[in-house]
Amino acid sequence: MSAFFQQLINGLSIGSVYALMAVGYSLVYSIMNFSNFAHGGVIMIGAYIGFFCMTAFQLPFIPSFILAALGAGLIAVSLEKVAYSPLRKRNAPFLYFIISAMGASIFLENIVIATIGPTFRTYPEVFSRTPITLGKIAIGRLDITMFIISAISLGLLIYVIEGTKTGMAIRATSYNAKASALMGVNTDRIIFIVFALGGILAGIAGILFGMKYTVYPQIGAITIKSFIAAVFGGLGSLTGAVIGSILLGIIETFTSGYLSSQYRDLIAFGLLIFILVVRPMGIMGKITEDKA
Amino acid sequence: MKKRLGLILLSVLLIVSLALIGCAPEKTETNQEDVNQEETAEKGEEVVKIGWIGSLTGDQAVWGNCEFNTVKMLVEEANKNGGWLGKKLEAIGYDTRGDSMEAVNAVRRLTAQDKVIAVLGPNASGQAISISAVLEEMNVSDIATVATNPKVTVDDNGNVKPYNFRVCFIDPYQGAVAAGYAADVLGFKKAAILYDVADEYSQGLTQFFEEKFKEKGGEIVAKEGFKFGDVDFRPQLSKIKEAEPEIIFMPYFYKEVALSANQARDLGIDAVLMGGDGWPSEQLLQMAQKSIEGCYFVNHLDFEDPDVQEFKNMYKEKYDLPVELNGYLVHDAFKLLEHAVKKADSVDTVKVRDALENAQMVGITGKINIGKDTHNPEGKDAAIIKIVDGKYVFQQKYSAE
Repeated sequence: MSAFFQQLINGLSIGSVYALMAVGYSLVYSIMNFSNFAHGGVIMIGAYIGFFCMTAFQLPFIPSFILAALGAGLIAVSLEKVAYSPLRKRNAPFLYFIISAMGASIFLENIVIATIGPTFRTYPEVFSRTPITLGKIAIGRLDITMFIISAISLGLLIYVIEGTKTGMAIRATSYNAKASALMGVNTDRIIFIVFALGGILAGIAGILFGMKYTVYPQIGAITIKSFIAAVFGGLGSLTGAVIGSILLGIIETFTSGYLSSQYRDLIAFGLLIFILVVRPMGIMGKITEDKA
Repeated sequence: MKKRLGLILLSVLLIVSLALIGCAPEKTETNQEDVNQEETAEKGEEVVKIGWIGSLTGDQAVWGNCEFNTVKMLVEEANKNGGWLGKKLEAIGYDTRGDSMEAVNAVRRLTAQDKVIAVLGPNASGQAISISAVLEEMNVSDIATVATNPKVTVDDNGNVKPYNFRVCFIDPYQGAVAAGYAADVLGFKKAAILYDVADEYSQGLTQFFEEKFKEKGGEIVAKEGFKFGDVDFRPQLSKIKEAEPEIIFMPYFYKEVALSANQARDLGIDAVLMGGDGWPSEQLLQMAQKSIEGCYFVNHLDFEDPDVQEFKNMYKEKYDLPVELNGYLVHDAFKLLEHAVKKADSVDTVKVRDALENAQMVGITGKINIGKDTHNPEGKDAAIIKIVDGKYVFQQKYSAE
């Protein structure tokens, strides 16, 4: 039985990383109706900012964490201004946005390779590697911290969306941008806020991912799994993104642990196709209402 | 509408061309070599071109960059001493990004366009295996550096590939050495294996470790796989933990070794970890630190051997970087080629091949006696290295029986 709980904890641990990333996808999708494939690049930049704050500038974890979140937020907002805003102003088709996002992602990855280099970098040890043990179950200190930080960040985001006036404007814009603009909502400002929030979450995901694994220019590739999680939960629904991520993390872990790791991606991607065919709106998503 | 369609097409074209530019093998030469080439061209002198392929970007970039740096350094050194057969040398290198298709493209370009006399590298078996057909078609030899899979130099029927050579020992030997050392010297009876199911190198080492360890009376208590690109190994490690092994064999490369070693310690696994020549890298020590303390791996040489110090210092002085394992092996590949050219007294690619087939020389990684039927350096001892206080400490030379 302890093996089962150990695998459950492993699943929650990877699921919480997916959740932070998946929410960024859902947030942008809910407003812009397209998947921001440059999100992985923003996560990577967040991971590098956190890393250099802690190593080159010798800053403690908390200031590094804040700077990574803010830095990634800034990058996300800049991307919106450079890569998406001009297209939005011209009412360009969605295909343009997707092409622009892919271009931005390649650009971010290559600029890091060209300037910082392709090597792997490791965060200094902030949390001891000695696990907390409950009987036969071992829980990493970093995993617990990550889970708590993810939960607080997502909780705050849901509060902003559900409990504030800005959140109400975001929800209104996600429901119908044109009508919201006619009702006096400054949609440009809302899009700016959405990208800033998505970027901040990407920065948090980046620094946590970097601490848990390692930092390298291609870490954005992991976001393909969080994208699946977002689709699984219902693209455009924040709660759906979180539930989808945790479920995907657990399914993957149990597949590797009880079946074989060879089937892990097969099941993850099979699940994506199944969901798209059977319930395209995902677990929590609704096609025309209640986004964000 | 037409304007929009045009814009879409233009954007797609731009992205595709950007991606293609990114994918094209990247030619890399030093400025000094360009100058040398121009000077010799002006004088009408013939230049001997040596090709190199490997990963200058991607996961194995650390190793590839070290290899190409070494080749450039050795070319410079040889030119200072008058070149080969009185001709100046030039190094031409292409980035394979760790991809087999890119390796084929790069070798095609080196042999057809650049007219190299031989190719050095690549630094991985998958790429080395895929280039055989081009080498045969163009009658140009390749000397692989750390490509340890048997199929690099022989085909599926065991026939030797005429133009593929190497300077490193092979996976069956390496896997068996690890198992023999774990059972006989360290005295372990229960081993677990975590391996990369998508990688021939990892599969080869796993197979021969398993066979030898069982032959020595040991038991494989768990065998778990993962796929290249994975970053989370906890599900597999949790199963391995349940099986309570004394040693975990991890036959894959340093990035995954560091991640899995860290996660193993996070899960409270305190078994000794062991691996092959995919381990040694300065990056491993930085990434895994305490997690790999007291662990072992099979290597091609002892880094502290007096014979390698001159090269090690020369590299450090020139690039202000530590030499990776690949640097030592590409050094020997270069020296083997030099030996063959001098022996053949020609830079004709077929004559160089014939000379390589019977080559016997002493490199900094040991004696290199190329076997005619295998094109492998036969009888090379393996070095067992232990990680002590964050340093690679040589234990002993060990050969599998």
